[in-house]
Amino acid sequence: MSSDRFDLGGGEPIITLRDIAKSYWREELEIPVLQGIDLEIPTGAYIALMGPSGSGKTTLLNLIAGIDRPTGGSLEVCEHELNDLDDDQLAAWRNAHVGFIFQNYNLVPVLNAFENVELPLLVSGAGRSERRDRVEQALTLVNLTDKMRNYPRQLSGGQEQRVAIARAIVTNPDLLVADEPTGALDAKNAEEVLGLIERLNTELGKTIVMVTHDPKAAHHAKHQIHLEKGVLDRTVEVNR
Amino acid sequence: MRWLALIWKSLMRSKRRTLLIVGSLVLSVFTVAVLQSLLTTLNAVTNNPNSSNRLVVRHKSGLTQMLPRSYEAYLRQQPEVATVCALQWFGGYYQDPRNFFANFASDETTIFQIFREEFGTSGISEAQIKDYQRDGAGCIVGESLAKKNGWKVGDVVPLTGTIFPINPRLTIRLIYKSPKPSDENVLHFHYKVLEEGVPRMKGLSGSFWLRTRRPEDIPRLIERVDRHYANSAYETLTETENAFNLAFVKMLGNIGAIIQGITAAVVVAILIVTGNTMATAIRERTTEIAVFRAMGFSAGRVLTLLLAEGVLLVGVGGFLGVLLANLAAGGVRASLGSAMPFFADFAILPNTVLACMVGALAIGVLATFIPAYSATRRPITEGLKAVG
Ligand SMILES: Nc1ncnc2c1ncn2[C@@H]1O[C@H](COP(=O)(O)OP(=O)(O)OP(=O)(O)O)[C@@H](O)[C@H]1O
Ligand SMILES: [Mg+2]
Repeated sequence: MSSDRFDLGGGEPIITLRDIAKSYWREELEIPVLQGIDLEIPTGAYIALMGPSGSGKTTLLNLIAGIDRPTGGSLEVCEHELNDLDDDQLAAWRNAHVGFIFQNYNLVPVLNAFENVELPLLVSGAGRSERRDRVEQALTLVNLTDKMRNYPRQLSGGQEQRVAIARAIVTNPDLLVADEPTGALDAKNAEEVLGLIERLNTELGKTIVMVTHDPKAAHHAKHQIHLEKGVLDRTVEVNR
Repeated sequence: MRWLALIWKSLMRSKRRTLLIVGSLVLSVFTVAVLQSLLTTLNAVTNNPNSSNRLVVRHKSGLTQMLPRSYEAYLRQQPEVATVCALQWFGGYYQDPRNFFANFASDETTIFQIFREEFGTSGISEAQIKDYQRDGAGCIVGESLAKKNGWKVGDVVPLTGTIFPINPRLTIRLIYKSPKPSDENVLHFHYKVLEEGVPRMKGLSGSFWLRTRRPEDIPRLIERVDRHYANSAYETLTETENAFNLAFVKMLGNIGAIIQGITAAVVVAILIVTGNTMATAIRERTTEIAVFRAMGFSAGRVLTLLLAEGVLLVGVGGFLGVLLANLAAGGVRASLGSAMPFFADFAILPNTVLACMVGALAIGVLATFIPAYSATRRPITEGLKAVG
């Protein structure tokens, strides 16, 4: 189903982008990557961000997740004006509000599944037993409690990504960002991971922004939006 | 998982690299600790705190020239002088020429006052001293020398002379303990044994050791004694004990400069090796560092973690190096201690340990800081894109 309105459903916005621009400079030459992005994403949304290679999807996702800064415009995410936060405040903000899921899982090879999931909790300063409870909860959710002591090299790609998902949700963030989360997986594992991400949205109410090339993956999201040469397409596809 | 576990596991990422770097640190710290301790030991010879009141009077033309024992009377008359003791290096050995140790013919009455500190006189009784003084063929030996040769009080020690053509048989009358091990590898016997056994030594001695009443008197006394005997048949050279010992140490050449040069070279080499290793290790973790920061680790926290890794690495290396040096020092004392008296005092002193540890830690911080700092300055988005 397609709609002409730029509407991602009701509810309070958790992400508000106002006239966001991002450029790089190469030898005095400005290379615009994103221009005039206005976007409101309501709490509980599950958005697939699509577009051709080089259109700026990753750049936009990184801005929303607070690991990059815009060169123009402002953005409010999880009730914080990100432009107002300094680097350390932004780090603390990410720890509390954002979970990251990467294409290459990015688990720490010298830590086992349990320890990988525990990592973000070291920053939030949770006590030992609280950390253990939360790590076990997160691993239960991704159905990997039996692999807790396995190191990444002792896990399949699908299992690694599930550990990474557990790590992303262990701090109980409001927002999950995923950049091509199934890009490195075969069809069966991709389906499993997408099903899991979907459950995080429907059952736990996480707001999810997922960058993907894959139309099948995009179909798992509630809405699809498109970037084209750094500009947001006004068309929104509504899946459900 | 605790922070320390995280740091430890990160270090164990490449066991071979970690082992190599710890190994080179151990070796470097060991080398520096041993060399610096050698220097400290040598310096201690010329900086004996017991000797602030002591002077040595000898012939101006060198140690092989003798002075008349009649000089003792003049020296004793000087108001600054508390005690005078004739002392001659005998240079004998026991059983085997390689079994070398310091032995002297000395004035049996004043020797205990001159070397009060070395003999630990509080530990020996008047009766024991009397025993020695009464027996013209008696001798006194330090405890470690006695232990080494299995000597007890009452044993007879035959000495074979190398400089003088006599082989005195001496009965041990006293075994003393010294605060400093090197002072226990010494044997003294009555001066008369030398004078009566060697006709050319009659009325002569290689040196007189003086104890002054106050250290302040020393410069004035030196000047007066040497002036008194100037232009006589036996001119004197009077100097402090430390100055006297310095002459021996100087025979070894400028060891201080050599040791400091080697130390500097080792420090620079290990700094380069450690810096290069840490830089490689951190570069390999570019993506991981970006992931840590995305998860909410601040740049400062990541920097601290990396520095802690570097410090732990050199801490372990430095500790093992110092430990090894201490074991080696025991070996040096046991093997060379009696041949060269100052080696009996060879030890890795707390100051050297401290300096080595501080130096190693400084190297760790310096070698880690530069690559770690630039890694945490890098934009997170760039780190996530990097392959690795
Ligand atoms: N550090 C940089 N310096 C210069 N240009 C950059 C930099 N990072 C990204 N770009 C440019 O920005 C544009 C958008 O990059 P981005 O990674 O957001 O694209 P993408 O939509 O995620 O593409 P893909 O689907 O291939 O991942 C690209 O043209 C890229 O060359
Ligand atoms: Mg991308």
